[in-house]
Amino acid sequence: MTRLARSTLVQPEATRLRLDLSGPVLALFAALLVILVVLPIAWIAIFAFSTKDGGVTIANFVAIFGDAEFQEPLVTTLVIAISVGLICCLVAAPMGWLVARSDMPGRRLVRTLVTASFVTPPFLGAIAWELLAAPNSGLLNQAWRAISGAAPDHHLFNIYSLGGVIFVISCYTFPYVFVLVANALDRIPGELEDASSMLGARSWQTARSITIPMTLPAILAGVLVAFLQAMNLFGSPAILAIPAGFHTMTTKIWSLFQFPPKPELAAAAALPLLVLTIVLLRAQSAILGQRSYAVLGGKYGAPRPVRLGAWRWPALAICLGLMLLPVFLPYGALFNAAFSKVPSKLITWSTLSLHNVHFTFFELSQTWGVMRNTFLLAVLSGTVGTLLALVIAYLVARRAVRGHRWLGFLATAPIAIPGIVLGVGLFLAYTRSWLSVAGVDIPPMILYGTLWILLIAYLTIELPASYQQLGSAIQAVHPELEEASRILGATRLRALREITAPLLLSGVVATWCFIFVAVVRELSAAVILFTSDTKVLSVLIFDLKESGDLGAIAVLGLMMLAITTAVVWLANLIPGAEARRQASQM
Amino acid sequence: MASVELRGLTKRFGATAAVDNVSLTIGDGNLVCLLGPSGCGKTTTLRLIAGFIEPTEGEIVVGERVISSPRRTLPPEQRMMSMIFQSYALWPHMTAAENVAYGLKIRGLDKATVDARVKAILAVARLEALAGRYPSELSGGQQQRVSLARALVVEPETLLMDEPLSNLDANLREEMRFEIRRLHDQFRTTAVYVTHDQAEAMTTADVIAVMNGGRIEQLGSPEDVYERPVSEFVARFIGASNVLKGQAIDRTQVAIAGVPVATTGRALEPGRETAVAVRQHDIRLAPAGSGEPPANTLRGVVRRQVFLGSSRDYIVEMQDGAEVRIAAPADQSITPGSAAWMHLDPERCRALTR
Repeated sequence: MTRLARSTLVQPEATRLRLDLSGPVLALFAALLVILVVLPIAWIAIFAFSTKDGGVTIANFVAIFGDAEFQEPLVTTLVIAISVGLICCLVAAPMGWLVARSDMPGRRLVRTLVTASFVTPPFLGAIAWELLAAPNSGLLNQAWRAISGAAPDHHLFNIYSLGGVIFVISCYTFPYVFVLVANALDRIPGELEDASSMLGARSWQTARSITIPMTLPAILAGVLVAFLQAMNLFGSPAILAIPAGFHTMTTKIWSLFQFPPKPELAAAAALPLLVLTIVLLRAQSAILGQRSYAVLGGKYGAPRPVRLGAWRWPALAICLGLMLLPVFLPYGALFNAAFSKVPSKLITWSTLSLHNVHFTFFELSQTWGVMRNTFLLAVLSGTVGTLLALVIAYLVARRAVRGHRWLGFLATAPIAIPGIVLGVGLFLAYTRSWLSVAGVDIPPMILYGTLWILLIAYLTIELPASYQQLGSAIQAVHPELEEASRILGATRLRALREITAPLLLSGVVATWCFIFVAVVRELSAAVILFTSDTKVLSVLIFDLKESGDLGAIAVLGLMMLAITTAVVWLANLIPGAEARRQASQM
Repeated sequence: MASVELRGLTKRFGATAAVDNVSLTIGDGNLVCLLGPSGCGKTTTLRLIAGFIEPTEGEIVVGERVISSPRRTLPPEQRMMSMIFQSYALWPHMTAAENVAYGLKIRGLDKATVDARVKAILAVARLEALAGRYPSELSGGQQQRVSLARALVVEPETLLMDEPLSNLDANLREEMRFEIRRLHDQFRTTAVYVTHDQAEAMTTADVIAVMNGGRIEQLGSPEDVYERPVSEFVARFIGASNVLKGQAIDRTQVAIAGVPVATTGRALEPGRETAVAVRQHDIRLAPAGSGEPPANTLRGVVRRQVFLGSSRDYIVEMQDGAEVRIAAPADQSITPGSAAWMHLDPERCRALTR
């Protein structure tokens, strides 16, 4: 080959002074994160220690912790959280093992069903279980009376009870433990177990000395997550515990916003939740940090499934039987309620009706406004939230600015803020009038009553997960891929556009969908922050509960599920998954 | 084409200097190899040249242009360089041909020229048949050749290579060493090659810079660093020499285990501790005879011998307890435990400066 003419190369411009943008960039995003994260929390702290006229006091805490009215919810919350943590562990860990490591038939089906219970909003599950197990009208109790001939006031189940609350929360929390355990087991190379067998260990010895210890961190982490979920959940206890006549911390905080509002007490009650969440998250990362057995490097074969022998089918039967509780029965009840004239009666051909659908979409005046709000917020949050998380994740992963660690910390911090606590914080931050703190007058910034305050809430709540998703997507794109483009003459922006962006596309789409879906089903912050003009779907469903419109609730709930399923399905059709697949093979 | 000059280049990360006052001139069209163990600063030096990081002190000059200094650094895209990465860094969403064409497209060439040049370079790299494949569909060696083609097709002023062969298996690595040398001879691009493998450095480089602890320990032709190491580090790192220690008797002789050994390399200071490097195959091993051994001969006891096929690997322990490693002819077998003489050729005993 002959030498090619060098003159065809474009000679670049002479030395250009490098513009150091890192200062302004850092300042901008740090300011954004402070508004999203620090501000609401700061207001909670200020209000918790304030009297009505702005003085400093600890009276709010005395009122909270000295009063049985507040002590009982605190104890109830802890009982619920501990019970849910244990139940989830007992159910989900064996199930995760069966799916990841055994030759049980229908493993994919079980995984899919667990995902289905994962995507079910807990408050919708709670409503469905009301339809099933309310003492009088519950379908299961009706069936029981029909079968056993028991008296009309007799009931088998009462969902309006502490046990009922624990049961329903567990139904929609166990997937967290399941996913963590199954993923951990998926990642343990089969060779590690084979090595144990080669040294003469029997199956159960290998399980006891290799598999279980390696899974233990994931199980512990899962229990903590379940505990946190149960502790900070608002929807299910609001639906089931209040009719039963007791409160949890979240419902108590919510009740403090009912007329007449007592934001100081709400702030004081929110702080313990916040502190406990932070402590438990620290504990979780300490557990995972010490005992993470991530296996690095090397090529490992797929693990050999453990043979269950005669237990294969019974194991599947047990799994499917368990899935009756979070998936089959509740969905059946919702469909029944949606298409029946009388939601509390089992549907027959003669009672099949589209009355509820018609009522929801054409008679219920709020439906369309609420749908508009929900879509607007979900699309906006998805777009803004993805962009925000993308830029922060990029700056942190590539260490592009000084102080990037702080950005990462701020972006992860909201994970420790329960939705209801954030709701309280935002309410306090954007509702108040002029306030004087330490002699400085702070002007009011009133966003309460607008969609903006909900947007801020959603952005904050979804930031940690989307930041982490995109962070790992960016980690998967080797920095040398960008550098290869730079050295061949592409500017940083061009390298981002032509190399990094296409490789991140599927991660970005996934994150957008994730935020969209999460926003559509979010209740606990919205229930504090909505006004009649800014109602969203989840709040509408919650409100209709008050008026007892179970048919409309079922229709709206099923529609919510249909929307979220459709969005996820559409996202999977978008090209770019291909590029991602190839990148992951590199 | 241009020479590349590093002047007092220093890069500190916090308190530690990854690159410590490195000065080096790479002549136009030369291939310089930065050779050293991991953590010696060779990759940092390369990334400084590429412009991915800025120096703490010193500067980098290409031709007459200062491209890096603590005050200002030309961004990588304006340096007219190419780089071959350890991971190859092929873009997984582009085919082999698209990867190769990328740099040309950035230079704004028209489609016909791009196509022609891509075709030509793919032929040189023996990749024509694989042009339409994605990187995930290529083997390691093929990916490596695409990466070479992508770097060379833009005809860079300077070509940087960061351990380009470290992800290949042994056979392929040897083949690609000669491939890189062949392409360099053809294009005569000024090139910097980073590696920890001395055989790789020997085959590819015009000049080798042995690096240790962020500094250049020795700079010279492959023959220089191999035959005339200046320091214990270089002697051990290149070609696995024995380093024997003793006290200088006069300007040429060192007492090793009580035996005066004549050396070459530099004038000695009598009375000073001196290290002498002797290569494994430059020691003549013989069973111990009766009487006094001839001059320049050390006594020892064979501790271990292993048949390696083309040679026999011996470890002999001297009277002072130090061990000497010897590559002896394969047919020469001395039973472990028996006494042996080790004759050292004075011409092959290099007194080390450091």
